[in-house]
Amino acid sequence: MTALPDAPPAVAPPRPPGRSASPRSRGPRLVRTALAYVCLLTVALLVLVPFASMVSSSLKRNNEVLTVPVEWVPREFRWSNFVEIWDRIPMTTYLGNSVFLSGAITLLQLLTGSFAAYGFSKVRFPGRDALFLAYIATIAVPWQAYMVPQYIMMQRAELTNTYWSIILLQAFGAFGVFLMRQYYMSIPDDLCEAARIDGLSEYGIYWRIMLPLSKPALASLALLTFVNTWNDYMGPFIYLTSNELWTVQLGLRSFVGQYDTEYAMIMTGAVLSVLPIVVLFLIGQRYFIRGIATSGLK
Amino acid sequence: MIASNSAGRAKGRPRFIGYTGVAVVLALAVTACGGGSGEKTSDGNVTLTVSVWNLAKTPEFTALFDAFQRANPGIKIKPVDILADDYADKVTTMLAGGDQTDVITMKNVTDYSRYSSRGQLLDITDVVRSTDTSKLAGLPAFNVKDKYYALPFRQDFWLLYYNKKYFEKAGVTMPPQLTWDEYAKLARSLTHDEGGKKVYGTYHHTWRSVVQAISAAQTGGDQLSGDYSFFRDQYEMALGLQKDGATLDFGTAKAQKSDYRPIFESGATAMLPMGTWYISGILGQKQKGATDVDWALAPMPQRPGATGITTFGSPTAFAVNKRAAHADVAKKFVQFAAGQAGAEAVSKVGVVPALQTPEITQAYFSNAGMPTDELSKKAFQPDKVVLEMPVSEHTSDVDTILSEEHELIMVGDKSIDEGIRSMGDRVKSEVLN
Amino acid sequence: MAHAITRSASDSPPRRRPAWHRIIIGWSFILPNFLGFALFTLIPMLAAFVLAFLKWDSYNTPEWVGLENFRRLLRDENFYVALRNTLYYAVGHIPLTLVAALGLAVALDRKLRGVQFFRTAAFFPYITSLVAVAVVWNMLFNPTAGPVNQLLHALGVDDPPRWVASTDWAMPAVIVTSVWRDMGYYMVLFLAGLQTIPKEYYEAARVDGAGAWQRFWRITLPCLRPTTFFVVVMLTIQSFKVLDLIVVMTDGGPGRSTLVLAQLVYREGITEGRFGYSSAIALVLFVIVLAVTVVQFRLNERSSTR
Repeated sequence: MTALPDAPPAVAPPRPPGRSASPRSRGPRLVRTALAYVCLLTVALLVLVPFASMVSSSLKRNNEVLTVPVEWVPREFRWSNFVEIWDRIPMTTYLGNSVFLSGAITLLQLLTGSFAAYGFSKVRFPGRDALFLAYIATIAVPWQAYMVPQYIMMQRAELTNTYWSIILLQAFGAFGVFLMRQYYMSIPDDLCEAARIDGLSEYGIYWRIMLPLSKPALASLALLTFVNTWNDYMGPFIYLTSNELWTVQLGLRSFVGQYDTEYAMIMTGAVLSVLPIVVLFLIGQRYFIRGIATSGLK
Repeated sequence: MIASNSAGRAKGRPRFIGYTGVAVVLALAVTACGGGSGEKTSDGNVTLTVSVWNLAKTPEFTALFDAFQRANPGIKIKPVDILADDYADKVTTMLAGGDQTDVITMKNVTDYSRYSSRGQLLDITDVVRSTDTSKLAGLPAFNVKDKYYALPFRQDFWLLYYNKKYFEKAGVTMPPQLTWDEYAKLARSLTHDEGGKKVYGTYHHTWRSVVQAISAAQTGGDQLSGDYSFFRDQYEMALGLQKDGATLDFGTAKAQKSDYRPIFESGATAMLPMGTWYISGILGQKQKGATDVDWALAPMPQRPGATGITTFGSPTAFAVNKRAAHADVAKKFVQFAAGQAGAEAVSKVGVVPALQTPEITQAYFSNAGMPTDELSKKAFQPDKVVLEMPVSEHTSDVDTILSEEHELIMVGDKSIDEGIRSMGDRVKSEVLN
Repeated sequence: MAHAITRSASDSPPRRRPAWHRIIIGWSFILPNFLGFALFTLIPMLAAFVLAFLKWDSYNTPEWVGLENFRRLLRDENFYVALRNTLYYAVGHIPLTLVAALGLAVALDRKLRGVQFFRTAAFFPYITSLVAVAVVWNMLFNPTAGPVNQLLHALGVDDPPRWVASTDWAMPAVIVTSVWRDMGYYMVLFLAGLQTIPKEYYEAARVDGAGAWQRFWRITLPCLRPTTFFVVVMLTIQSFKVLDLIVVMTDGGPGRSTLVLAQLVYREGITEGRFGYSSAIALVLFVIVLAVTVVQFRLNERSSTR
């Protein structure tokens, strides 16, 4: 699976990081690159098969979706499905709600999560580790177990059927704290120590040094939080009753419930619900690649 | 990496326990106090909230609401639309949180028994007593120790749908009364290839009721008893049809999450035992031009030597939330839905009302697109409709076990005898002990 | 390697501030998150754990029953079935996902034309809605006409498994689907981790004549330690909590062959209204996961100080 092309034993003088590949013996390199592509393409194909069938189904007629044997390419491309779905359900509202909720939650999670992670990884104080264990412990409890007590609290606070309930429930997750702390642990403490000697306060270290250094982790956390919130079904289902507050997933599920025979339409909805995340991922990519190499930690 | 200095951990633990204690006390305080608030001011006009599922696709709700609002100016109904698949879960959570939705629709009798036994529904025995219930089908299912907490407005029961085209082609007419053996023979003979596409003689949906509830109804067996030998004949028939390829294989149907509707509407099956709720579904699809299936109804097949037509069914009802903001108006609505006006409104959209009078049945069959032959009308008047599943505190536990074992028998993992034995063993040891 | 040095440095910092000062600083960082976390997660969760010792129908006043819920658990055959299935799932899902995710990340952490496309492709399964995932995979695994079995037939397997329609093969089908779905997610974490490894290490190793395989074992894996640890912990926790994929794919069936603990928690609580008993199962599940996680932390600690 890990198709690592062997590098030649002898190497040219050190080059700037990130561009280590440069003119070498042409022949074997070409073969190796080709091999790498073949492997990657195979994996990509395997991974994308189900997605491809989703896209292809979204362009078919309903009765052409579940056929034996499978038809990978629709007989005729029904792009009209993508127009029709906007008349069937208020897709714009759902998309807007999902963007708002996911955006707000991601922002809060990033801010509070990375802030707390600094406290957990770079400041030593008694009780810290026990507290952190409590954080991780909560990740281990299935949400269904405390769904009802949580709901009762929210109902008493009269926050059900508002965006607040979802935001408050999901913005302070332990996952983000854990992820960021793990990342900060890999940043050497002497860096902070040096900054302290230079007279920087702890908040200054967090803001000036840790945050810029942790861009890849922040990008990962942002992406994962966004995707999780975007794809969450049970939370919005339990808390959001009014149709005008519904998220894409709720809309999609209700659509499936109401038009359960219309597979093509369901797949069209699924494709539409995935698109924003794909765009986001493509944008976020750049941060993973840049990462730490450009940030001056050398 | 956590707790990397052991001194800190040793100190941390008791403190952590301390936090826990405080937090628990806080939690209980929060849960216990802060009672129901939110007294709504009424400015003459009342807005009644009613919990429903899939409003857009369940026309009887809209029909009822319109009729009620027309009859009661000054009252506005606001539906609380919930996704059908998770309806029960959401209602459970809402009621636990002290939600004030006025009218709660009881999707099935099992949920009704749960909410009523917890005391979450208002006692409406007075409403029932003041209503003429002599022709109201399904009411006994809601009797809990001589008290009623809900009133049914629709009553569905099972019958046999069939595709007339395939019968004509094979040169057979649907007999007025089938036994299960005749039904199986018919299913085998109707199985054929149509333009390279397989047409099954019949389609048995994956629900356990297709086999179990009908045999309980027709043999008088009790599905809560822990003795399930009365299922045997029906399983033999169903597995036999499956083995001969006269019905879609259970495993395939389950894996595909097959829906019975497209199977019947696309002409992939000649017959389909199913509930009356599907009538409004076909009518809707035909009106939209989404299907051209030429269909009619027949009574459910019977056991040999049976007199009359016995089938099973289940009612749907409205109940009043104990915490309802407008209990009196809610009661009024519940009574309206179960009465003549409600029944008319419901039957107009092709749904079978609980109130069954000859006039209403006639009105029902005058709906556009309904089959008009005599057999269909006869199918619509079974002699006996047994409740799909008896109601008790054990109902849903037994239901889970019976469903699981049903799957195992149908995918061939257990023989009929093994399956029936383990149903009995499990129900006795896990539920009835 | 760098850890050992930094640890001893920070254990005896040059300037020791008073303890209360560090407490205030530490808490000031944690508090914004902790407030929301405690109020909306911790407290309801602790309330749920108290419920494990109560009998509660979600509406009426709870009744204290002591350990009765746990005694009932020990007698409940469903619990053992669910426990066994959960362990089965975890044992299959954790290593497979880990290897797949790490492999993908290493393969895709390079300058290659079109690498963006491949990364996106690998992440696709995770972002696709579960409803669609279930429909598609159930179609692929269709026992009679599914492509998987058509392929097996072509390869000469006469009697291919009936996958989700069989008690023996339903769980493997679920595991395959879940690995497929999750590997892109963990790949992202590994990719972020790979960015932290200074490129000079590789250059130096290359100068020393280390091959790709050696570089992977000597540099990549050790440097990825914090990430790998995080991934293993998260994978463990998520495997034990698995619910949604199972619900949409098999709903615990056929029979009880894919019934897992989290599903039992849901069924007993929300569906059956036995919230006390449901909480007891959740508590046991929690203790199991916690035990495994603590062991993982200990192992990690030991090998990182070595």
